Amino acid sequence: MSMMSRAEQRLTPDVVHSVSFSAARLGRRGFDEEHVRAFCHQVEEELVMLLNERTALQEEVNRLRRRVLGRAADDSEAAYGRDDAHIQAVGILSRAQQTADHYVAEAQEYSRHLAQDARRRRDEILAEARSHADLVLEEAHRAASQAAQAAMAAPVAEQEGNRRELEAELAYLRTFSDVYRTHLRAYLDALLRNVDEWEHAEKSSLSAVRADLPRLASPGP
Amino acid sequence: MDADRLRESFARVAQHGDNVALFFYSDLFLRYPQTRDLFPVSMTAQRDRLLRALGKIVAEADRVDELAAFLRDLGRDHRKFGAIADHFGPVGESLLATLAHFSGADWTPELAADWKAAYELVAKVMIDSAREDSRHSPPFWHATVISHERRSFDIAVFRVAVQEPFPYRPGQSVAIESPLRPRIWRCYSMANAPREDGTADFHVQLVDGGTLSMPLVRGITVGSRLRLGPPTGVFALPDAPRRDVLLIAGGTGLAPVKAITQQLAQLSDPPQVHLFFGARDANALYDLAELEKLGATAPWLTITGCVSDDPAYPGERGVLPDVVARGGPWGGRDAYLAGPTPMIKAMSARLRSLGVPQDQIHLEDFGWSES
Repeated sequence: MSMMSRAEQRLTPDVVHSVSFSAARLGRRGFDEEHVRAFCHQVEEELVMLLNERTALQEEVNRLRRRVLGRAADDSEAAYGRDDAHIQAVGILSRAQQTADHYVAEAQEYSRHLAQDARRRRDEILAEARSHADLVLEEAHRAASQAAQAAMAAPVAEQEGNRRELEAELAYLRTFSDVYRTHLRAYLDALLRNVDEWEHAEKSSLSAVRADLPRLASPGP
Repeated sequence: MDADRLRESFARVAQHGDNVALFFYSDLFLRYPQTRDLFPVSMTAQRDRLLRALGKIVAEADRVDELAAFLRDLGRDHRKFGAIADHFGPVGESLLATLAHFSGADWTPELAADWKAAYELVAKVMIDSAREDSRHSPPFWHATVISHERRSFDIAVFRVAVQEPFPYRPGQSVAIESPLRPRIWRCYSMANAPREDGTADFHVQLVDGGTLSMPLVRGITVGSRLRLGPPTGVFALPDAPRRDVLLIAGGTGLAPVKAITQQLAQLSDPPQVHLFFGARDANALYDLAELEKLGATAPWLTITGCVSDDPAYPGERGVLPDVVARGGPWGGRDAYLAGPTPMIKAMSARLRSLGVPQDQIHLEDFGWSES
């Protein structure tokens, strides 16, 4: 029983893997979540490695012990040899599996980063577009109001007062749409350039990744 | 069979953590190479599940009824992976070899006999349950995508036609597998009450780096094939609701909530229902228009959409717990919550503090299949 409770207190990779910290209370300083997570990941890997090493050493001890005993009973030597081979094969397959797991995890991490970047980029572009649109509207309105005032101020015969108001309105709208169109065109051009650059960057980073791949496929030593 | 002795032995073995499961699967694949094809390339999640399942079985070895229910579910769930009765022998051999390996000098004939007896018992419950299930259900269902719609940058709503009869309760979920990601199963809830034509809807939110959500949102199209596991989960209304109902959905947690809403709409005398649907921004309220259409024709149904991160949103603003609290009191209602785990946690704590008794708060659950 004492064995069990002691065992339960031991820190295992699993515990590190699934540990969760509660968030600091509002107004209190807390650690960067990514940092903590990265560190926990490191601790977990280290722990797994240490346990692996311990298991391997234990294995070695068992093997040597069996060999010593085996000398006493020659006929069972063959059986011990078979067991040894199997355990070694299990070790080799396990390492291969871990390598595969590692590659898959890295690929997933890479895709997570890409998606997060894309999302952040989208939010930035949307926010910028919104504030830009507000600015353009404001400026168009200001320019158009000035145009309208100028039209109102132009000297004309009194009976044409009504017409003058219409002309002012017309001047407002014409200027408004001119300014708006010019800005919109400039903005869309900039946006398209941005998208082109983005595509270009993505293509070159993808080809960089592809260039890395043949290394994995090339025959080992 | 001595439960304490098993627990003690397992606690010692479990100190080796991931290595135990690593050894187990390598041993199994070496002895029976054909079993490798039953698993995905990456085994990280699989190893974790094996250890959790073993831990649960050992911890609950005394509580036979709960354990039996868990094992029956596990047996039924394993049918989608293939003929399970054939695999129990090999799995048992490798499990005992693994336990022996990590127990070292502690591995005695008595302990070995205990583990063997325990394993045979577990295997029998699982095999019996799988056999019983096979009398009335296929191991998995074939489904074909008949419509697929991107509702926003990262949310898709799609409909499948299921070939065989596919009975389930609104609110339940299934594990889905796509040929684009073989042997990766992830749980999604049906977003509709069962229909006569055997079609079912699913709502999928793209998880950054998600193994299956990526192909489900971006990869599959009309005509794509999927496999569905058996419907699971106890997130469901009673047949005749005794109280008025409060439905709360965050993001694509709307799926099971929508299914429950449709079920309520089929009652001859539905209770009063208030449905809250929350998201970060208006874009992510991907199904609000359709819900409001339903709400307009149903006097018993009130719909509130709310947005937490956009100060310019014209409707209700704030996180779900705040918005729901403003609309109370809710003490007399049955509440059904589905969505991201942090939201669910905060929401159910808030409901308790608002005087909703614990047993009236129901949370979405994906059963054991979710990894």
